[in-house]
Amino acid sequence: MDRDLRLTVRSDPKLLGSIRSLVREWVQSWEIDEKTTGDVVLAIDEACTNAIRHAYEGRCDGSVELTLHAEADHLEFQVSDQGVPCPPECAERRPLRPPEVDDLQPGGLGIQLIHKVFDEVEFCPGASGGNCITMKLKRSE
Amino acid sequence: MGLTIENEQSSDGSLIRVAGEVDLYSSPELRKAILKSIPKAQGSLAIDLNGVTYIDSSGVATLVEGLRSAREHDISFVLVDPSPAVKQVLELARLDSVFEVR
Repeated sequence: MDRDLRLTVRSDPKLLGSIRSLVREWVQSWEIDEKTTGDVVLAIDEACTNAIRHAYEGRCDGSVELTLHAEADHLEFQVSDQGVPCPPECAERRPLRPPEVDDLQPGGLGIQLIHKVFDEVEFCPGASGGNCITMKLKRSE
Repeated sequence: MGLTIENEQSSDGSLIRVAGEVDLYSSPELRKAILKSIPKAQGSLAIDLNGVTYIDSSGVATLVEGLRSAREHDISFVLVDPSPAVKQVLELARLDSVFEVR
């Protein structure tokens, strides 16, 4: 599709603000409501944050690839890296309940937010090592 | 848009006023400000989040860490006037009931 967006950025937290602006603008161009747009921007930011923090262990010299793609019935987002693969148990969906403060494990919160925002989430090993996460958002008629 | 953090002292405790975007890049700065204020806070630490236009899970984790540390120091930790962006993420994370919000 001619409106697809593909970009490769360094794994530098400084760039997250620019990534959010781009994703926001692209999602808005599909007339997605404001609240859902905000949730999607957050979830994509979380996917990039995981790549930086966990896959590249905070190094800024890795690369993160983002693909934003539209189908008739859904928007599809992909974030991939070539860093350390994410352990499968970290990618699992867990119920988010109001927790006791002492039990809070905020480290895994990003992935749970991603599961909560999107209709479908798939974690795969990347083509050349690393991680690839595909996230789908249904478009209402 | 960056992050601004202002510290204020009043008779009923300390207040940190936060504005801008809290993400992986800026949350360490907020973490430092909160953890530094807690031992000095007199009875309570309030975090004013009215000017926060964006917060991610690293920002939320920072607030959770602040809450924990405040409990250890036996002071209250209150979120003041959270912006819609903050409310939305706290609700999404089901953490809105964990914090005292004013």
